Amino acid sequence: MPLNLIIALIIFSVLLFVITTIILKKGRMPEKYSLLWYFISLVIFVVAVFPNAFALITHKTGFQTMSNMIIGIILVLLTFLTMALTIIVSGQRKKTTLLIQELSILKSEINKK
Amino acid sequence: MKTLLIIPAYNEEENILNTYNKIKEYNKKNDDKYDVIVINDCSLDNTSEICHKNNIPVIDLLHNLGIGGAVQTGYKYAYKNGYDIAVQFDGDGQHNINYVKNIVDPIKKGEADLVIGSRFIEDIDTFKTTWLRRVGIKVISCFMKVITGKKIIDTTSGFRACSKEIIKDFSISYPPEYPEPVTTAEIIRKDYKVKEIPVEMNERTAGVSSIGSWKNAYYMINVCLSLLVIRMRRYKKCR
Repeated sequence: MPLNLIIALIIFSVLLFVITTIILKKGRMPEKYSLLWYFISLVIFVVAVFPNAFALITHKTGFQTMSNMIIGIILVLLTFLTMALTIIVSGQRKKTTLLIQELSILKSEINKK
Repeated sequence: MKTLLIIPAYNEEENILNTYNKIKEYNKKNDDKYDVIVINDCSLDNTSEICHKNNIPVIDLLHNLGIGGAVQTGYKYAYKNGYDIAVQFDGDGQHNINYVKNIVDPIKKGEADLVIGSRFIEDIDTFKTTWLRRVGIKVISCFMKVITGKKIIDTTSGFRACSKEIIKDFSISYPPEYPEPVTTAEIIRKDYKVKEIPVEMNERTAGVSSIGSWKNAYYMINVCLSLLVIRMRRYKKCR
């Protein structure tokens, strides 16, 4: 793996770790969601530090270059993540709708009295 | 039988009072009395003020929910207050109060659980929307026939009446988008009795429709997809 790619990956993984920690500290993300980001940051770090092991996997899986494989993995990961987020957002929307409806009905009943 | 007219309203300050007065006039002249609930979907104009000033029963939604969420609020209200029949009625003057009796009667007689007021069954000389929209409705209608096995001609009509059982169903679950064709397909799949009755509709007296012409294709594709999903789901039969 070229040295500049190793450095870029290490910087990226550290950044990801720090940003996740800051978001957690500010209470803008529950711990359970932060685990995924910590895990991704760890995987990137391991790949950067032990490039040879990763080179072997790249060779075995038939990717032309290591960067191709990294991009491929990230793409698959992001696709699933986006899907998971769509499901979460849809669930939230249902809950918000229910809250707005029930609260609006309640408010109109109180105003009537 | 207690009947409720659910009137979803978004920026209908020019129509809502007129619509309500026509219902009031009808109630005075006829034996069937209809209760009214306006669901103000967070209008930006004076719809809410007009309702409160004129003692029109209204629920002001705290946030805009779109047509599906607004209508469902009406069904929740109907369910909580023990109504036997609920009728969706537009606040823009498109629906004619004199036809409510026609779509409510089959439910009273036990002939149907959901009655759709259809613009296309008989050739009544009336407002029938643009040709592009008619084509879209026709495609959805064909798709509905394939998916449910039942021919519904005016699948997107928002002029509908439903029974107590369906009020309960709708108050629990109602799609936020494309509610009319989607719920009709679901109701058929649950083995409820669905009937179409010819009605006359007027052109909007003021305001703008919620579906613009450029959105037609997008609407059609989404509805067809929703219908396909309904075909794949399993539903608990009502009888």
